[in-house]
Amino acid sequence: MRIDLSILIPYAGFLAQGALLTAEVCVLAIVGSVILGMLVAIARTSQLSWVRWLAFAYVDLFRNIPFLVQLFFFYYGLPEIGMYIDAFTTGVVALSISGGAYASDAIRAGILAIDNGIIEAAEVSGLPRRVIFSRIVLPIALRTSVRPLGSVLINMILTSSILSTITLNELTGNARIVASETFRPFEIYVVLLVVYAALTYLVSLGITVLHRRLNRDLQEQVS
Amino acid sequence: MRYTDFTPFDLVLLAQGLGVTIGLFLATTLIGLVIGAVWGIVRFYRVPGLTQLITFVSEILKNSPVLVQLFLVFFGFPAFFHINVTPVTAAIITLSANTAAFVYVIAVSAIESIGRDQIEAARVFGLRRWQVLRHVITPQAAAFSIGPLTALLVNQLQVTSLISVIGVMDLAKIGANLNLRTLQPFVVWTVVGILYYLAAKLVAMLGTRLEKRLRAHSAFRGL
Repeated sequence: MRIDLSILIPYAGFLAQGALLTAEVCVLAIVGSVILGMLVAIARTSQLSWVRWLAFAYVDLFRNIPFLVQLFFFYYGLPEIGMYIDAFTTGVVALSISGGAYASDAIRAGILAIDNGIIEAAEVSGLPRRVIFSRIVLPIALRTSVRPLGSVLINMILTSSILSTITLNELTGNARIVASETFRPFEIYVVLLVVYAALTYLVSLGITVLHRRLNRDLQEQVS
Repeated sequence: MRYTDFTPFDLVLLAQGLGVTIGLFLATTLIGLVIGAVWGIVRFYRVPGLTQLITFVSEILKNSPVLVQLFLVFFGFPAFFHINVTPVTAAIITLSANTAAFVYVIAVSAIESIGRDQIEAARVFGLRRWQVLRHVITPQAAAFSIGPLTALLVNQLQVTSLISVIGVMDLAKIGANLNLRTLQPFVVWTVVGILYYLAAKLVAMLGTRLEKRLRAHSAFRGL
């Protein structure tokens, strides 16, 4: 009945390796989901109704199906159609696709929040539609949605623990190995809870700083 | 001889899995709602010490992966407290605590959404603190929180799929078993995904209906 954390010291490096893999997966997946989210957000604000519907169906489907089921669908399903990819790639792809659904909502809200006057001004200046979108609408939408995208990233860090079920040895996967080697599951999982909480807290701090910095020209209006 | 084909009995298995998922979901939601609401009331009464403790616990629960919490309860508790924990018990403890942490946040913001002037007015009329809570705060807070609660519950329904990892025979676990037997991941996981999707939609629909009813008195009636 005594918590003895000293038994975990020899495994600190091993756990740090797992944390590094978690970070790698999350960074790749957040890049993937922002790109995917951007495309889907564009589709959702499109003027063609079938494009809008298709994008909505994607978001609705991937938000309402458990990530575990999506992950197994890809992990067991892809080899069936001849695509042999490892657990790491599968994990990144699955996280990107499910994160993309959430990211697209954040970016879409950013697009919808843009003042019509800005777009009208760009049109009056004679900019083509494509340039208006890529140089004016998207940059503004992306920077105002930094904070919601940050919560997508935080959720992704937590969700990435599920990747341990497809044999990817990230932080949780390595912790499982340590737990079965030391027979001290309580200590290791308590430490893991604190580590994850600290990790997400640090990420949220970083996002707040980034959000402030990117939107610093708007700060004066607010305060 | 191998039994790789689908049989009619698989439908029964799927229905059983869905039943376990929904049953555990309802039970943990109920327990989580009660605990979360009690935590919110503790905060309302500003119990010294306890409030900070609850906030800390809820932060840890919100910012760590449910999978790790599940491992902590299922593997850690028996090793540390020398008690017997079945998969179902572990699932109920973890999911209830997790739901409670999120419900607590919603309850706090719902209580804070009610203007201080209303509470002061009620106190001036001679209502006791619990009468204020019962007649002024609760009805409005319930109407306020039903939207966020619905979103939370749709999410929690998906989180229940994680309990399959520790061996509870829920829908995801049945899916995994069928997948191993039939070796047809696309069919199996699509069916499982659709079932989860429909369940999530049902929860969302019930939430919207309840919200309409609770907000009926404050809806704009027209001139």
